[in-house]
Amino acid sequence: MVSQKIISIIVLVLSTIAILACLVINFDAWIVYTVAMFAIPAWVLSLGLLTMAKPKPEDEEGRLKEPFTGY
Amino acid sequence: MNLMAEILIQVVIAFLAGSLLLGLHRKVMARVQRRPGPPIIQHLLHSLKFFFKETGFPKTVSKPFYIGITFILALIWIVGVIAGPVAHDSLLILFGVYAVYKIVEHNSGSSSGSPYGKLSCVRAVLSAATELPLFAAIIFVYLVTGTMNIGEIITYQSVHGPLIYTIPLAALMFFMLIITKSPYSPFAITKDKALISGFETEHYGLLRGFMHFSESIAWYVMLWVFLTIFFGPLNAVGYLIGMIVITFITGFINAATPLLSPNHSVMTQITIGAICFFGTVIMIFSGVVA
Repeated sequence: MVSQKIISIIVLVLSTIAILACLVINFDAWIVYTVAMFAIPAWVLSLGLLTMAKPKPEDEEGRLKEPFTGY
Repeated sequence: MNLMAEILIQVVIAFLAGSLLLGLHRKVMARVQRRPGPPIIQHLLHSLKFFFKETGFPKTVSKPFYIGITFILALIWIVGVIAGPVAHDSLLILFGVYAVYKIVEHNSGSSSGSPYGKLSCVRAVLSAATELPLFAAIIFVYLVTGTMNIGEIITYQSVHGPLIYTIPLAALMFFMLIITKSPYSPFAITKDKALISGFETEHYGLLRGFMHFSESIAWYVMLWVFLTIFFGPLNAVGYLIGMIVITFITGFINAATPLLSPNHSVMTQITIGAICFFGTVIMIFSGVVA
């Protein structure tokens, strides 16, 4: 869970920098398209992974016990 | 305008408009079935709400794959926004987007380790029958206009009139794709309620919200492409009216039609596709299409 948080923060920072760079500097179209394709989904996903509610420590095991819905 | 700013604006418009249209779709279905239904804004609220919900990762999932597939789903629809509303680029890129979407359906189901997801993943292979009429429709657009470029197709239509009058059966094939991809479609065999939510069953909380984000963009892009390549140059009001009308029509069809079994779904799609394909070929060779 800690490594997931660290990775999410790194991805959020990198994608924010990449998007802001393309907003400030006029790069070639192919660079902007590549950044948009990867950075926009990465920004939304990493922000979501950081903002989502986490289970309480005592409930965490219970959340992982069921392998899948309806098991 | 700065290119990145244009892309961001289009992505936000696609998300908001797509969410509201999907909310309208649900409302229309409910009213046809004599239910009050949720407010039109409900789909948008759900998408945002899921981002703050507690999300667990089931034991059986392949975690990088399970999260990565939702990333790929968003990525392909950002490509759809770029190739369509932003750059007016080639239709083949959009066909590629649908090909990858099929892979997403397949792998989203298999990455979960759930039997429901796996069954949906098998059905995703069967439902590739949807993409064949789409490819045929794109070929006919190319045969008539001589180009795959959306910008040039718009220019062609501004001179010769909308393609819906020239190749209506090709438009019908494309429309069948729209019906197939709409929620609660009779052809939505990958999301059959017998499979709970199909390939999305194990993606809940944040990941479901992220998938809603992508699906809202997908609905907007699909309607935008259909209106652009068959109804000629349209302004913002034209697009808005067109999207609302198509959402109403698909809502009525889906409310009044039960989900078909996989074999009936595939046979129906292939039969409609074949009739439209040969009908358009006859129209072209008999000189009906100039």
